[in-house]
Amino acid sequence: MDILAIIFMIAGLFFLIVAAIGVVRLPDVFSRSHAVSLTDSLGAFLMLIGIALHEGLDTNTLKILVVLALLYILNPVIAHATIRAALRSGLKPWKKKTS
Amino acid sequence: MALFGFWILFSASFELIHLGLGLVFSFAVAWLNSGHSPFIPRFRLWLRIFLYFPWLFYEIIRSSLHLSKLILHPELPIDPHLISVNSKLRHHAAVVLLGNSITLTPGTITAEVERNNLIVHAIDKVSGGDVVSKHIDL
Repeated sequence: MDILAIIFMIAGLFFLIVAAIGVVRLPDVFSRSHAVSLTDSLGAFLMLIGIALHEGLDTNTLKILVVLALLYILNPVIAHATIRAALRSGLKPWKKKTS
Repeated sequence: MALFGFWILFSASFELIHLGLGLVFSFAVAWLNSGHSPFIPRFRLWLRIFLYFPWLFYEIIRSSLHLSKLILHPELPIDPHLISVNSKLRHHAAVVLLGNSITLTPGTITAEVERNNLIVHAIDKVSGGDVVSKHIDL
């Protein structure tokens, strides 16, 4: 069980690191928020599943699952609000230079 | 009733005073909020949603791997663009779910919603093409 938990956590860590690299490398707000959404959809998911497996069958596990459900509902809302605010304030999305 | 379940879950104690307080507060909150919720639970919708979530999860994993590949690629081969998606969904909750799913999937973010028309920011052609081609309709 612990081995499985560690595997899940390492996989989650991989996605979190990739997302962090993405936030640094990508050019503008719009594409950076894609990298952030990678964090919450797979990174946090794998981490929380790892923690849940580590805890075993407990009330804490159920709480973690509730956190996960809330995360999946709320994170898109936040990303959407950010992007909509950026778009409405007149920020133009970064375009690839057409050569 | 669902709120009471959550109360038991969070407090994790079964003493009489805790349960009583939880019962009173959960019904009070439910009563105060009744009539505000836009999600009218229709039975057919709830049945299909259990087929929808595994599929959505599969899509999330697929596009996560795709986006990770893009980020780690040395030349950063991204091509961000805005696309507009029309959906046939009439129910408000369904449109909310669609926008939420699009944003949840890495690589695409819903930027603007106007009744049935969603403006989506996609990071490259592949991610954008997924949204247009695979009609994410319930």
